[in-house]
Amino acid sequence: MSCEGYRDKLIVTLASGAGSLDGDVATHLGTCAACEKFYEAQVNLFGAIDSGLRAMVNEAVPASLLPRVRARVAEAGTPHGAWGFSWGFAAVAVAAVLLISVGLLKQSPDSRNKVNDRIPVVFQGARDAKEVTPEQPRVIAAGPKMVAAPSVRVTAPEVLVLAEERAAFEKFVKNLPEEREVAVAFTRPATDAKDEGVEIALLQIDELDVKPLESANR
Amino acid sequence: MRELVLIQPGRTLEGPTAREHERVRADREFEERLTECGPLAFRVAYGVLRNAADAEDVAQEALLKAYRNFGRLREPARFRGWLVRIAFRMALDRWRSVKRREKRETQGEQSEPRAAGPTVEELAVSSEFQARLERAMEELPEKFRLVLLLAAIEGYTLEEVSGMLGIPMGTVKSRLFFARKKLAEKLR
Repeated sequence: MSCEGYRDKLIVTLASGAGSLDGDVATHLGTCAACEKFYEAQVNLFGAIDSGLRAMVNEAVPASLLPRVRARVAEAGTPHGAWGFSWGFAAVAVAAVLLISVGLLKQSPDSRNKVNDRIPVVFQGARDAKEVTPEQPRVIAAGPKMVAAPSVRVTAPEVLVLAEERAAFEKFVKNLPEEREVAVAFTRPATDAKDEGVEIALLQIDELDVKPLESANR
Repeated sequence: MRELVLIQPGRTLEGPTAREHERVRADREFEERLTECGPLAFRVAYGVLRNAADAEDVAQEALLKAYRNFGRLREPARFRGWLVRIAFRMALDRWRSVKRREKRETQGEQSEPRAAGPTVEELAVSSEFQARLERAMEELPEKFRLVLLLAAIEGYTLEEVSGMLGIPMGTVKSRLFFARKKLAEKLR
Protein backbone atom coordinates (compact mmCIF):
# COMPACT_ATOMS: atom_id res chain seq x y z
CA MET A 1 0.00 0.00 0.00
CA SER A 2 1.22 3.50 -0.77
CA CYS A 3 1.73 6.23 1.81
CA GLU A 4 -1.48 7.86 0.53
CA GLY A 5 -3.45 4.71 1.31
CA TYR A 6 -2.00 4.54 4.84
CA ARG A 7 -2.80 8.21 5.39
CA ASP A 8 -6.43 7.64 4.36
CA LYS A 9 -6.63 4.78 6.84
CA LEU A 10 -5.15 7.03 9.53
CA ILE A 11 -7.77 9.69 8.94
CA VAL A 12 -10.61 7.16 9.04
CA THR A 13 -9.30 5.81 12.35
CA LEU A 14 -8.98 9.26 13.89
CA ALA A 15 -12.32 10.52 12.55
CA SER A 16 -14.15 7.50 13.91
CA GLY A 17 -12.64 8.10 17.33
CA ALA A 18 -11.09 4.64 17.48
CA GLY A 19 -8.15 4.68 19.84
CA SER A 20 -5.72 2.23 18.28
CA LEU A 21 -4.35 1.99 14.76
CA ASP A 22 -4.49 -1.14 12.64
CA GLY A 23 -1.38 -3.32 12.83
CA ASP A 24 -0.22 -2.67 9.25
CA VAL A 25 -0.69 1.10 9.62
CA ALA A 26 1.24 1.14 12.88
CA THR A 27 4.03 -0.88 11.25
CA HIS A 28 4.20 1.56 8.32
CA LEU A 29 4.41 4.55 10.65
CA GLY A 30 7.42 2.94 12.30
CA THR A 31 9.23 2.84 8.98
CA CYS A 32 8.01 6.08 7.26
CA ALA A 33 9.04 9.35 8.89
CA ALA A 34 6.81 11.46 6.61
CA CYS A 35 3.70 9.46 7.49
CA GLU A 36 4.68 9.51 11.16
CA LYS A 37 4.83 13.32 10.97
CA PHE A 38 1.50 13.41 9.11
CA TYR A 39 -0.03 11.19 11.78
CA GLU A 40 1.11 13.48 14.58
CA ALA A 41 -0.28 16.50 12.77
CA GLN A 42 -3.64 14.75 12.31
CA VAL A 43 -3.78 13.69 15.95
CA ASN A 44 -3.25 17.31 16.91
CA LEU A 45 -5.84 18.51 14.43
CA PHE A 46 -8.55 16.10 15.65
CA GLY A 47 -7.61 16.92 19.25
CA ALA A 48 -7.99 20.62 18.49
CA ILE A 49 -11.36 20.01 16.84
CA ASP A 50 -12.59 18.08 19.87
CA SER A 51 -11.41 20.66 22.36
CA GLY A 52 -12.82 23.46 20.18
CA LEU A 53 -16.20 21.73 20.06
CA ARG A 54 -16.21 21.22 23.80
CA ALA A 55 -15.41 24.89 24.32
CA MET A 56 -18.20 25.73 21.92
CA VAL A 57 -20.95 23.99 23.88
CA ASN A 58 -19.85 23.73 27.49
CA GLU A 59 -20.34 27.38 28.30
CA ALA A 60 -21.41 28.11 31.87
CA VAL A 61 -25.18 28.27 32.04
CA PRO A 62 -26.34 31.72 33.19
CA ALA A 63 -27.84 31.63 36.68
CA SER A 64 -30.73 33.73 35.45
CA LEU A 65 -31.96 31.15 32.93
CA LEU A 66 -34.12 28.94 35.15
CA PRO A 67 -35.61 31.75 37.29
CA ARG A 68 -36.55 33.63 34.14
CA VAL A 69 -38.21 30.56 32.66
CA ARG A 70 -40.11 29.99 35.91
CA ALA A 71 -41.30 33.58 35.90
CA ARG A 72 -42.50 33.30 32.33
CA VAL A 73 -44.20 30.00 33.06
CA ALA A 74 -45.99 31.65 35.98
CA GLU A 75 -47.10 34.45 33.63
CA ALA A 76 -48.25 31.95 31.04
CA GLY A 77 -50.58 30.29 33.58
CA THR A 78 -52.04 26.85 33.17
CA PRO A 79 -49.96 24.55 31.01
CA HIS A 80 -51.62 23.18 27.96
CA GLY A 81 -50.66 19.81 29.33
CA ALA A 82 -53.70 17.82 30.28
CA TRP A 83 -56.15 20.34 28.86
CA GLY A 84 -54.26 21.53 25.83
CA PHE A 85 -55.74 18.91 23.60
CA SER A 86 -59.27 19.51 24.78
CA TRP A 87 -58.93 23.26 24.19
CA GLY A 88 -57.62 22.60 20.73
CA PHE A 89 -60.44 20.18 20.12
CA ALA A 90 -62.95 22.73 21.37
CA ALA A 91 -61.55 25.39 19.04
CA VAL A 92 -61.79 23.03 16.08
CA ALA A 93 -65.33 22.06 17.05
CA VAL A 94 -66.44 25.70 17.28
CA ALA A 95 -64.87 26.45 13.90
CA ALA A 96 -66.62 23.43 12.36
CA VAL A 97 -70.00 24.46 13.80
CA LEU A 98 -69.55 27.98 12.44
CA LEU A 99 -68.65 26.70 9.00
CA ILE A 100 -71.63 24.36 8.91
CA SER A 101 -73.95 27.16 10.07
CA VAL A 102 -72.69 29.51 7.38
CA GLY A 103 -73.08 26.77 4.79
CA LEU A 104 -76.66 26.05 5.86
CA LEU A 105 -77.53 29.73 5.88
CA LYS A 106 -76.21 30.11 2.36
CA GLN A 107 -78.26 27.19 1.16
CA SER A 108 -81.55 27.98 2.89
CA PRO A 109 -84.29 29.49 0.69
CA ASP A 110 -84.82 32.31 3.15
CA SER A 111 -81.30 33.50 2.74
CA ARG A 112 -81.58 33.27 -1.02
CA ASN A 113 -84.71 35.37 -0.93
CA LYS A 114 -82.90 37.87 1.24
CA VAL A 115 -80.13 38.09 -1.30
CA ASN A 116 -82.64 38.51 -4.12
CA ASP A 117 -84.41 41.25 -2.19
CA ARG A 118 -81.24 43.23 -1.96
CA ILE A 119 -80.50 43.06 -5.70
CA PRO A 120 -82.31 45.64 -7.79
CA VAL A 121 -83.02 43.93 -11.10
CA VAL A 122 -85.56 44.68 -13.75
CA PHE A 123 -87.29 41.58 -15.03
CA GLN A 124 -87.30 41.84 -18.77
CA GLY A 125 -89.41 38.86 -19.51
CA ALA A 126 -90.69 35.53 -18.37
CA ARG A 127 -87.44 33.85 -19.35
CA ASP A 128 -85.44 36.16 -17.12
CA ALA A 129 -87.68 35.34 -14.23
CA LYS A 130 -86.57 31.74 -14.19
CA GLU A 131 -82.97 32.48 -13.38
CA VAL A 132 -81.67 35.79 -12.29
CA THR A 133 -78.03 35.98 -13.20
CA PRO A 134 -77.04 39.59 -13.13
CA GLU A 135 -73.48 38.96 -14.25
CA GLN A 136 -73.79 41.88 -16.66
CA PRO A 137 -74.98 44.77 -14.56
CA ARG A 138 -78.30 46.09 -15.79
CA VAL A 139 -79.05 49.72 -15.40
CA ILE A 140 -82.40 51.04 -14.41
CA ALA A 141 -83.42 54.62 -14.76
CA ALA A 142 -84.60 55.52 -11.32
CA GLY A 143 -85.22 59.24 -11.45
CA PRO A 144 -82.00 61.19 -11.15
CA LYS A 145 -80.03 58.16 -10.00
CA MET A 146 -78.89 55.18 -12.02
CA VAL A 147 -79.10 51.95 -10.10
CA ALA A 148 -76.81 49.16 -11.24
CA ALA A 149 -77.32 45.56 -10.32
CA PRO A 150 -74.28 44.07 -8.60
CA SER A 151 -72.63 41.14 -10.32
CA VAL A 152 -73.76 38.37 -8.02
CA ARG A 153 -74.91 35.06 -9.38
CA VAL A 154 -78.21 34.09 -7.81
CA THR A 155 -80.33 31.15 -8.77
CA ALA A 156 -84.04 31.58 -8.13
CA PRO A 157 -85.58 28.95 -5.88
CA GLU A 158 -87.78 26.39 -7.57
CA VAL A 159 -91.36 26.43 -6.36
CA LEU A 160 -94.62 24.85 -7.47
CA VAL A 161 -97.23 27.37 -8.64
CA LEU A 162 -100.62 27.16 -10.21
CA ALA A 163 -100.79 27.54 -13.99
CA GLU A 164 -102.91 30.72 -13.81
CA GLU A 165 -100.58 32.24 -11.23
CA ARG A 166 -97.64 31.55 -13.50
CA ALA A 167 -99.41 33.09 -16.49
CA ALA A 168 -100.33 36.15 -14.47
CA PHE A 169 -96.79 36.54 -13.23
CA GLU A 170 -95.39 36.24 -16.74
CA LYS A 171 -97.83 38.90 -17.92
CA PHE A 172 -96.85 41.11 -15.05
CA VAL A 173 -93.17 40.68 -15.77
CA LYS A 174 -93.71 41.30 -19.47
CA ASN A 175 -95.43 44.60 -18.81
CA LEU A 176 -93.06 45.68 -16.11
CA PRO A 177 -90.50 47.51 -18.33
CA GLU A 178 -93.27 49.69 -19.73
CA GLU A 179 -94.45 50.64 -16.29
CA ARG A 180 -91.34 52.25 -15.03
CA GLU A 181 -92.80 53.62 -11.86
CA VAL A 182 -93.94 50.20 -10.82
CA ALA A 183 -90.57 48.73 -11.71
CA VAL A 184 -88.74 51.33 -9.70
CA ALA A 185 -91.10 50.81 -6.79
CA PHE A 186 -90.41 47.09 -6.90
CA THR A 187 -86.67 47.38 -7.18
CA ARG A 188 -86.05 50.26 -4.81
CA PRO A 189 -84.58 48.98 -1.56
CA ALA A 190 -86.72 49.48 1.48
CA THR A 191 -85.77 52.55 3.48
CA ASP A 192 -84.95 52.24 7.11
CA ALA A 193 -87.08 55.24 8.02
CA LYS A 194 -88.83 54.77 11.30
CA ASP A 195 -92.51 55.45 11.79
CA GLU A 196 -93.11 58.86 13.17
CA GLY A 197 -95.71 59.55 15.80
CA VAL A 198 -99.03 60.69 14.43
CA GLU A 199 -100.82 63.48 16.17
CA ILE A 200 -104.57 63.18 16.27
CA ALA A 201 -106.30 66.50 16.69
CA LEU A 202 -109.52 66.65 18.62
CA LEU A 203 -112.67 66.99 16.57
CA GLN A 204 -113.81 70.58 16.76
CA ILE A 205 -117.38 71.54 15.95
CA ASP A 206 -117.92 75.27 15.81
CA GLU A 207 -121.65 75.58 15.50
CA LEU A 208 -124.21 73.03 16.35
CA ASP A 209 -127.56 73.52 14.83
CA VAL A 210 -130.19 71.44 16.59
CA LYS A 211 -133.45 70.98 14.71
CA PRO A 212 -136.51 69.14 15.90
CA LEU A 213 -137.33 65.93 14.09
CA GLU A 214 -139.99 66.20 11.47
CA SER A 215 -141.82 63.24 12.84
CA ALA A 216 -142.06 64.99 16.18
CA ASN A 217 -143.95 67.94 14.55
CA ARG A 218 -146.55 65.67 13.16
CA MET B 1 -65.71 27.21 54.27
CA ARG B 2 -64.35 23.70 53.67
CA GLU B 3 -64.98 21.97 50.40
CA LEU B 4 -66.51 18.53 50.64
CA VAL B 5 -65.92 16.05 47.87
CA LEU B 6 -67.95 12.90 47.47
CA ILE B 7 -65.82 10.01 46.30
CA GLN B 8 -67.63 6.83 45.48
CA PRO B 9 -65.92 3.45 45.24
CA GLY B 10 -64.88 2.63 41.68
CA ARG B 11 -65.11 6.22 40.53
CA THR B 12 -62.38 8.73 39.91
CA LEU B 13 -62.22 12.11 41.48
CA GLU B 14 -63.84 14.63 39.18
CA GLY B 15 -64.37 18.34 38.97
CA PRO B 16 -62.11 21.27 39.75
CA THR B 17 -60.28 19.49 42.58
CA ALA B 18 -59.10 16.71 40.29
CA ARG B 19 -58.05 19.26 37.73
CA GLU B 20 -56.19 21.21 40.37
CA HIS B 21 -54.37 18.07 41.51
CA GLU B 22 -53.44 17.29 37.93
CA ARG B 23 -52.15 20.78 37.39
CA VAL B 24 -50.01 20.68 40.52
CA ARG B 25 -48.59 17.34 39.45
CA ALA B 26 -47.86 18.61 35.92
CA ASP B 27 -46.15 21.69 37.34
CA ARG B 28 -44.01 19.55 39.59
CA GLU B 29 -43.02 17.31 36.69
CA PHE B 30 -42.23 20.28 34.51
CA GLU B 31 -40.03 21.74 37.23
CA GLU B 32 -38.06 18.48 37.30
CA ARG B 33 -37.59 18.54 33.54
CA LEU B 34 -36.68 22.22 33.61
CA THR B 35 -33.91 21.66 36.15
CA GLU B 36 -32.62 18.65 34.25
CA CYS B 37 -32.88 19.89 30.67
CA GLY B 38 -32.71 23.71 30.93
CA PRO B 39 -28.88 23.74 30.79
CA LEU B 40 -28.94 21.33 27.86
CA ALA B 41 -31.21 23.66 25.87
CA PHE B 42 -28.89 26.57 26.63
CA ARG B 43 -25.79 24.65 25.56
CA VAL B 44 -27.30 23.50 22.29
CA ALA B 45 -28.33 27.08 21.53
CA TYR B 46 -24.93 28.38 22.57
CA GLY B 47 -23.21 25.85 20.32
CA VAL B 48 -25.01 27.41 17.37
CA LEU B 49 -25.09 31.06 18.35
CA ARG B 50 -21.83 31.48 20.29
CA ASN B 51 -23.45 34.27 22.26
CA ALA B 52 -24.64 33.72 25.83
CA ALA B 53 -27.40 36.34 25.80
CA ASP B 54 -28.89 35.10 22.54
CA ALA B 55 -28.55 31.49 23.66
CA GLU B 56 -30.35 32.27 26.90
CA ASP B 57 -33.21 33.91 25.02
CA VAL B 58 -33.53 30.94 22.70
CA ALA B 59 -33.37 28.44 25.57
CA GLN B 60 -36.07 30.37 27.37
CA GLU B 61 -38.35 30.37 24.37
CA ALA B 62 -37.75 26.68 23.78
CA LEU B 63 -38.52 25.83 27.41
CA LEU B 64 -41.66 27.93 27.36
CA LYS B 65 -42.77 26.17 24.21
CA ALA B 66 -42.09 22.87 25.93
CA TYR B 67 -44.25 23.97 28.83
CA ARG B 68 -47.10 24.77 26.49
CA ASN B 69 -46.82 21.32 24.95
CA PHE B 70 -46.15 19.51 28.16
CA GLY B 71 -49.23 17.35 27.80
CA ARG B 72 -47.57 15.22 25.16
CA LEU B 73 -44.00 15.61 26.42
CA ARG B 74 -44.27 14.25 29.92
CA GLU B 75 -42.14 11.25 29.20
CA PRO B 76 -38.59 12.37 30.15
CA ALA B 77 -36.78 10.99 27.09
CA ARG B 78 -39.35 12.47 24.77
CA PHE B 79 -39.18 15.82 26.50
CA ARG B 80 -35.40 15.97 26.25
CA GLY B 81 -35.31 15.02 22.58
CA TRP B 82 -38.06 17.44 21.67
CA LEU B 83 -36.39 20.24 23.60
CA VAL B 84 -33.01 19.63 22.01
CA ARG B 85 -34.46 19.69 18.53
CA ILE B 86 -36.60 22.76 19.11
CA ALA B 87 -33.73 24.66 20.77
CA PHE B 88 -31.43 23.75 17.88
CA ARG B 89 -33.98 24.83 15.28
CA MET B 90 -34.76 28.10 17.04
CA ALA B 91 -31.06 28.81 17.49
CA LEU B 92 -30.46 28.22 13.79
CA ASP B 93 -33.28 30.61 12.92
CA ARG B 94 -31.84 33.23 15.23
CA TRP B 95 -28.35 32.64 13.84
CA ARG B 96 -29.57 33.10 10.28
CA SER B 97 -31.29 36.37 11.10
CA VAL B 98 -28.17 37.60 12.91
CA LYS B 99 -26.06 36.69 9.90
CA ARG B 100 -28.43 38.48 7.54
CA ARG B 101 -28.24 41.58 9.71
CA GLU B 102 -24.45 41.41 9.88
CA LYS B 103 -24.26 40.97 6.14
CA ARG B 104 -26.36 44.05 5.58
CA GLU B 105 -24.26 46.07 8.00
CA THR B 106 -20.91 45.00 6.64
CA GLN B 107 -21.86 45.07 2.99
CA GLY B 108 -19.04 46.47 0.93
CA GLU B 109 -16.38 45.80 3.51
CA GLN B 110 -13.72 43.29 2.52
CA SER B 111 -12.65 40.49 4.83
CA GLU B 112 -9.10 40.55 6.04
CA PRO B 113 -6.73 38.05 4.43
CA ARG B 114 -6.05 35.08 6.68
CA ALA B 115 -2.52 34.83 8.11
CA ALA B 116 -0.77 31.70 6.92
CA GLY B 117 1.78 29.50 8.61
CA PRO B 118 0.81 28.65 12.22
CA THR B 119 1.13 25.02 13.22
CA VAL B 120 -1.84 22.91 14.25
CA GLU B 121 -0.76 23.15 17.88
CA GLU B 122 -0.69 26.90 17.69
CA LEU B 123 -4.00 26.98 15.92
CA ALA B 124 -5.58 24.82 18.57
CA VAL B 125 -5.19 27.46 21.22
CA SER B 126 -5.78 30.47 19.02
CA SER B 127 -9.04 32.24 18.59
CA GLU B 128 -8.49 32.13 14.87
CA PHE B 129 -8.70 28.38 14.91
CA GLN B 130 -11.89 28.63 16.92
CA ALA B 131 -13.31 31.03 14.38
CA ARG B 132 -12.38 28.71 11.53
CA LEU B 133 -13.89 25.80 13.38
CA GLU B 134 -17.13 27.72 13.80
CA ARG B 135 -17.21 28.59 10.14
CA ALA B 136 -16.55 24.99 9.21
CA MET B 137 -19.36 23.89 11.55
CA GLU B 138 -21.76 26.31 9.90
CA GLU B 139 -21.10 24.67 6.57
CA LEU B 140 -22.01 21.21 7.83
CA PRO B 141 -25.46 19.79 7.20
CA GLU B 142 -27.76 20.44 10.17
CA LYS B 143 -28.18 16.80 11.19
CA PHE B 144 -24.40 16.32 11.43
CA ARG B 145 -23.99 19.56 13.25
CA LEU B 146 -26.54 18.67 15.91
CA VAL B 147 -24.98 15.28 16.58
CA LEU B 148 -21.55 16.87 16.84
CA LEU B 149 -22.77 19.47 19.33
CA LEU B 150 -24.64 16.98 21.49
CA ALA B 151 -21.71 14.58 21.55
CA ALA B 152 -19.45 17.41 22.69
CA ILE B 153 -21.67 18.37 25.62
CA GLU B 154 -20.20 17.05 28.83
CA GLY B 155 -22.19 14.43 30.64
CA TYR B 156 -23.96 12.91 27.65
CA THR B 157 -22.92 9.61 26.17
CA LEU B 158 -23.50 8.57 22.58
CA GLU B 159 -26.31 6.27 23.78
CA GLU B 160 -28.01 9.27 25.31
CA VAL B 161 -27.55 11.29 22.12
CA SER B 162 -29.09 8.40 20.22
CA GLY B 163 -32.04 8.38 22.62
CA MET B 164 -32.49 12.14 22.46
CA LEU B 165 -32.63 12.23 18.69
CA GLY B 166 -34.52 8.98 18.33
CA ILE B 167 -31.99 7.55 15.89
CA PRO B 168 -30.00 4.30 16.09
CA MET B 169 -26.60 4.27 17.70
CA GLY B 170 -24.98 3.31 14.37
CA THR B 171 -26.46 6.41 12.74
CA VAL B 172 -25.10 8.61 15.52
CA LYS B 173 -21.63 7.13 15.03
CA SER B 174 -21.68 7.44 11.27
CA ARG B 175 -22.86 11.05 11.46
CA LEU B 176 -20.11 11.83 13.95
CA PHE B 177 -17.52 10.19 11.72
CA PHE B 178 -18.65 12.09 8.66
CA ALA B 179 -18.81 15.39 10.54
CA ARG B 180 -15.35 15.07 12.10
CA LYS B 181 -13.82 14.02 8.78
CA LYS B 182 -15.41 17.00 7.02
CA LEU B 183 -14.23 19.39 9.70
CA ALA B 184 -10.69 18.05 9.47
CA GLU B 185 -10.73 18.46 5.68
CA LYS B 186 -11.83 22.07 6.00
CA LEU B 187 -9.31 22.88 8.72
CA ARG B 188 -6.31 21.00 7.36
